[in-house]
Amino acid sequence: MLDPISAPVRSTAIGTGPDTGLALRGASPAASAETPVDFGSFLAQMAADTANTLRAGEATAIAGINGQVSTQKVVEAVMATEQTLQSAIAIRDKVVSAFLELSRMSI
Amino acid sequence: MQDPLQTALRIGASGLEAQSRRLRVVTENLANAQSTGKTPGSDPYTRKVVTFENELDEAMDANVVKVASIERHRSPYRLEHNPGHPAADQNGYVKMPNVDIMAEVADMHEANRSYEANLQVIKQAREMISMTIDMMRNG
Repeated sequence: MLDPISAPVRSTAIGTGPDTGLALRGASPAASAETPVDFGSFLAQMAADTANTLRAGEATAIAGINGQVSTQKVVEAVMATEQTLQSAIAIRDKVVSAFLELSRMSI
Repeated sequence: MQDPLQTALRIGASGLEAQSRRLRVVTENLANAQSTGKTPGSDPYTRKVVTFENELDEAMDANVVKVASIERHRSPYRLEHNPGHPAADQNGYVKMPNVDIMAEVADMHEANRSYEANLQVIKQAREMISMTIDMMRNG
């Protein structure tokens, strides 16, 4: 749980977000190449949404460090970012393990 | 339909915002408890009070709280006999602010408790969301 005092510290830690966002976006075209178009585009859409939330969270965190946004807003944005990332990672893990299951199937 | 847990987070956040503005006003009152006028007979600082109101957030279909207004309190000023003071009138009385320090401190504690309560709600909603996401991870 984030406490308002450590929010700037936490937000700088979340600053590594773009890497994860990019990695997710990088992963989705590979996934969509193997899947039917509609599911692939759904994944791409989800990854893009995640990346947008991450970017918004970072922007709010940086504005908070500069003192333009209240601590509550920063914490809210950072927590939303964290949660989006968590669920995106959990869904990605599920999808990847599903593909692994498929690739292990004997032909 | 909006996720109820996300809605709870947003409502809690509005509570935090409202209570921090309340604390800001209390601080202003406490800091200005001795602020008098400059000219003879002039009015001193007037105690401010915060009023809250509920506001329907259309997007979430939920009632969030917001600060309706910050008004000047209507109680009378205290009179203090201090003939040498720049703000003293012809009888030597200075108008002192109508700030009651005990009331302000009580208000401050109430703001603090409300803030804590809202934080607890946010913590709880977040925990429930995290637990649900974790189920996808482990289950």
